[in-house]
Amino acid sequence: MKIKVTKENCTGCKLCQQICTIEHYGEVNPKKAAIRVTGEFPEPGVFTPKLCVQCGACARACPFDAIERREDKVYVINPETCTNCGVCVEACPFDVMFVHADAPTPIKCDMCLKCTEVCNTGALTVVD
Amino acid sequence: MIVYLRSGGKLRDVLRPDIDDYTRKVEVDDGLSIEQILAVLQIAPAMVAFAFADGTVRKLDYVPTDGETITLQSPVAGG
Amino acid sequence: MDGFGGTILRINLETGDVKRTPTPPDFAREWMGARGFVAKTLYDEVPRDADPLGPDNLFIMAPGVMTGSFAPCGSKIGFGCISPATNGHADSNMGGMLGAEVKYAGYDMVVFERISPEPVYLYIDDDTVEIRPAKDYWGMGSLDLEKRMKEDLGEDFQIATIGPAGENGVVFSCITHDFGRQAGRCGVGAVMGSKKVKAIAVRGTKSLSVHDVAAMTKSTYDIIQRTKPHPLMDPWQKYGTALFVGWANEHGCFPTRNFQTTFHDKWPEISGEKLAEEILITHKACFGCWMNCGKYSVAKIPGKPDTYVEGPEYETIALCGGNCAMEDIHHVAYANWLCDNLGLDTMSSGNTIGFAMELYEKGIITKDDLEGHELRWGNIDDFEHVIKMIADRRGIGEVLSYGTKGAAERLGQGTIDIASQSKGMEFSGYDTRWYSAQLLSYCTSDIGAHHNRSWAITADIQIGQDTPKGKAPVVIYLQHIRPLFDTWCCCRLFWGELDITPEEHVDTIQYLTGWDVTMDECMQVSEKIWNLNRAHYLERNGGPGRQFDVAPARHLEEEVPDGPAKGHTVGRENFEYMLDDYYYNRGWDKQGNPTREVLEILGIGYAADNLEKAGLLGEPFEDGVPKVRGEKLKPKAM
Repeated sequence: MKIKVTKENCTGCKLCQQICTIEHYGEVNPKKAAIRVTGEFPEPGVFTPKLCVQCGACARACPFDAIERREDKVYVINPETCTNCGVCVEACPFDVMFVHADAPTPIKCDMCLKCTEVCNTGALTVVD
Repeated sequence: MIVYLRSGGKLRDVLRPDIDDYTRKVEVDDGLSIEQILAVLQIAPAMVAFAFADGTVRKLDYVPTDGETITLQSPVAGG
Repeated sequence: MDGFGGTILRINLETGDVKRTPTPPDFAREWMGARGFVAKTLYDEVPRDADPLGPDNLFIMAPGVMTGSFAPCGSKIGFGCISPATNGHADSNMGGMLGAEVKYAGYDMVVFERISPEPVYLYIDDDTVEIRPAKDYWGMGSLDLEKRMKEDLGEDFQIATIGPAGENGVVFSCITHDFGRQAGRCGVGAVMGSKKVKAIAVRGTKSLSVHDVAAMTKSTYDIIQRTKPHPLMDPWQKYGTALFVGWANEHGCFPTRNFQTTFHDKWPEISGEKLAEEILITHKACFGCWMNCGKYSVAKIPGKPDTYVEGPEYETIALCGGNCAMEDIHHVAYANWLCDNLGLDTMSSGNTIGFAMELYEKGIITKDDLEGHELRWGNIDDFEHVIKMIADRRGIGEVLSYGTKGAAERLGQGTIDIASQSKGMEFSGYDTRWYSAQLLSYCTSDIGAHHNRSWAITADIQIGQDTPKGKAPVVIYLQHIRPLFDTWCCCRLFWGELDITPEEHVDTIQYLTGWDVTMDECMQVSEKIWNLNRAHYLERNGGPGRQFDVAPARHLEEEVPDGPAKGHTVGRENFEYMLDDYYYNRGWDKQGNPTREVLEILGIGYAADNLEKAGLLGEPFEDGVPKVRGEKLKPKAM
């Protein structure tokens, strides 16, 4: 299962960012989300949602083996062993490891799929 | 023919849905336009800004096919 | 305090001092944010003789209780001041992303006092608040500056700017944000400019404190799932507000040629369908909105650069389009971009330029006034030239920069009769000669003519277009419920179109704040704000109130010459009837002055004391004011 991003459908509403933070932290704060929507304005005037594609580069880079691969091939950060050193953030080839001063570890998508449930434009959908 | 009319907002109250929260099923003579169907239901055509059928905007002179679903949008304050 | 940022900022622009105070919980509870905060603060603090463009006016930015929460479209933020157009209370609401950012930075209101000696911008990065020099930015277009500041400060910052028009004090200057969202009306951009504040840049990374996150989330999540298949979701997502151009023409309320008539035969060329076909790039949403009614587009006109803008919306198509007799959607989109970048409200601009086009047609304005240019109906080059003169306030542009009322006062020659405005603010994109409830709405609006206070067109259709009876109570109800959304700060389109009930919004507020609040209470807050603004207006402008609730002669006496509304006009007798009915139902006396009784019911007896001192208190009602003020329209088709 994967989250498919169809950026042409994204309208920049950031509902995905809101629900992601609520789901993982119980807080209302889009800046702690594991998905980010960026806009290129005024030209060309389009939005791009960005989130982890589960490539594993972060896990390979982590000096503390704190990023584990689940059975469903999703990479998750172990908060017990993560030291928040930030090496994974640098190593991420897609800039989808996010940091926030209040978060004990970097923030990455764990495929909870809540964003796909609130997206109303087809920008975020679940595919096999 | 059977036509399903759907709406929301102010027009929904006037439409009086009976199938679900938004939909009214009407049986009318074949070949009637949306405007004529509204007249049968005693809904002022002025209460409908446009109709939407099959993803396309339709004028009120559009004649639905049997079993078609038509969405009706009331006029609304623009931004 | 749950639901709120927690801090009020006061910025003295003369000294550079920044004062922080905790947001008082009872203030937040009583006034709920944005429009409410603005109304109370202006009433309490601005001297009654303050010049709107002078140092004693305040310029206020305030999100509302729902801003930034996981509420249906908790996107809005309010700006307020004394308006240079109306000399009364002004509040102007804006969508986009700024409101949420201000809340996440921890602020519920920012009050700008006095005037800065040099151009500045407000920089907020959570707890860091700085007044930074903006000399390099002064003179830049609004949209150009937003792009530049995103580059300078980072994409994370939300930026709001004024354009050259606001710097120069044009009374219908706006504030622009997110490449196309505006706080458009009341001249809020001019007041921001008078204080030499060029821009506001905010980054907020804190979490919003919420009383019951789980309940709020479940409520909104369920609403999202319920409304996804709503029958109106699809047309709104695809077309936005521009889709009503056809209806407005076919039902005789589309402003055409300075409201000379109400049907524009070229309307299909500037319709929502044309927008979608020819110029649309992407659908664009405000924060937390899944209806994405915004349409981002590009205008391509030979000989001009391609211009990118959010729009044109219905109002811009009506007022820059029909009212100026434009015949090409690219031209309307280009006019939209000109307004946005110069920092001018598209509604008042289209209205004022249409007015000027008629004056040119009549020979009252000539080529000499226009630096050798013409001002022809439907001509985008002429439109461009005059709007730049207005933004610069040079020549005839200086006269027009006062809006239609101010320009008519300066030009004389009976031009006030064809100025479509009330209290100095231009009509929205609906002609009213066949829609008397809408005329009443415009002329009794507290901020000057604006449909966001009351849009009563379908009420006219349901009650009967030709009668003045039964309209006033409905207008009053609309004047309470519509601006409530400018107090709560969520978009009213969800209530209006997707059948989210106001009670569901109140539930959200309960989950957000923990308040034991009801819809009745919220409506009373809205009525209280309305009455406070009325009292404030009278104290500033004198009385009685009735002299200000006037309709322009064109809309009262001239019959529509052609089209679907041919032969119709409201007529003075009908208008006076509706006004009498309106005042009675508001608990105001026949002169339009609020009575002590209604002000005390609403908990603002101090406003009655002040009106009494000024000799402006309304005569008491013998049998008491109506217990219920305002009435929801009962649905009726024919």
